[in-house]
Amino acid sequence: MDKPVGDIGMEREENVTTLALLVSFLRLGASSFGGGMAGWTHREIVERRGWLTDDEFLKTLTVAQIMPGANPVNLAVYIGLKLRGVAGACIALFGMVLPAFAVILAMSVTYQQLKSHPEAQAVLRGLACVGIASSLTMGIKTARRLKGHALPILMAIAVFLMVGVMRWSLVAVVAGAIPVSVAATFWIEREKSRG
Amino acid sequence: MDDDKLLNLILLCIPLSLVSFGGGQTIVASLQHQTVDILHLLSGPQFTDLYAISRAAPGPGTLIVALIGWELSGLWGAVLATLAIFIPSSILLCILGSYWQRHRHTAWALAAEKGLAPVAVGLIFAGVFAVGQSARFTPLELATSLGAIAVLLTTKTGPYPLLAVVGVGYFLLSFAGMA
Repeated sequence: MDKPVGDIGMEREENVTTLALLVSFLRLGASSFGGGMAGWTHREIVERRGWLTDDEFLKTLTVAQIMPGANPVNLAVYIGLKLRGVAGACIALFGMVLPAFAVILAMSVTYQQLKSHPEAQAVLRGLACVGIASSLTMGIKTARRLKGHALPILMAIAVFLMVGVMRWSLVAVVAGAIPVSVAATFWIEREKSRG
Repeated sequence: MDDDKLLNLILLCIPLSLVSFGGGQTIVASLQHQTVDILHLLSGPQFTDLYAISRAAPGPGTLIVALIGWELSGLWGAVLATLAIFIPSSILLCILGSYWQRHRHTAWALAAEKGLAPVAVGLIFAGVFAVGQSARFTPLELATSLGAIAVLLTTKTGPYPLLAVVGVGYFLLSFAGMA
């Protein structure tokens, strides 16, 4: 049997059965309409199941947000890893993705059936408008967190120009931009703490 | 032929998985550019359609790769593309997660947390730009997008009511022969 990794969740290992873990993450996966997944996950894992304490959950959430990957999926995988090791991580990933995967495939099949109809095309164009609008809004809301500091804003603009306009390789740009951005933030924070 | 296309998609997804900070919206620019302009897996309008479906669907936006996989090779394409986008980042998380958790209070870890935001912002706008360009919006569609942005920024309305209203609106317009 896989042993849990890390320093949390160990004493609860025997209480967390594979089946219970699968059921919990399938439930979470099925409720992943819209946002607020951290709240749903907290309700299921901390309040309903009692598998993690508040403090453990918050530590997990920080890690999930900072690592690459969709945050709700990362959160699930990391909780699964803490509770039941690698097997737990696999179960969490499966449970979290399966419901949304099934829905999106059903939508895809419907699209294949209907795409030759002009009405369906019009509806999709409308949905694309709202989709772009919600992405742009997400960008604006995230940009507000930069709080008007010159360096982070220049960084964001540089990344936009390199990836969006000049179409350089996204992977290469991110690999180059992250160390620079993190070093700049480190410097800004240090200057701030010196007053 | 289709197997080659699927292989190209999977080889595209694996590195993107490892840089998808914040999720699907940060890798859309590259997905659009690569699948439409470089690898010619999809046409521009096809990509816009799949993007629209993925934004209306539940779950992480990253699942747009499942739609692309389905379009290229059916169920297996969808399954393999989904694995290729989720497994590399999950493995990295499992390897580095507890290290990160132990060092999360150091100045460098806090700088890393904040320092990701500007990169993510640049990538999200790049994605909007890429999809906006390939979508070639009509004036009506542009007005719809601007209206939706205004609603999302100034009210607490989420995207789902808007999707419903705009979807029904465009259906009726098309039915009446106006769009």
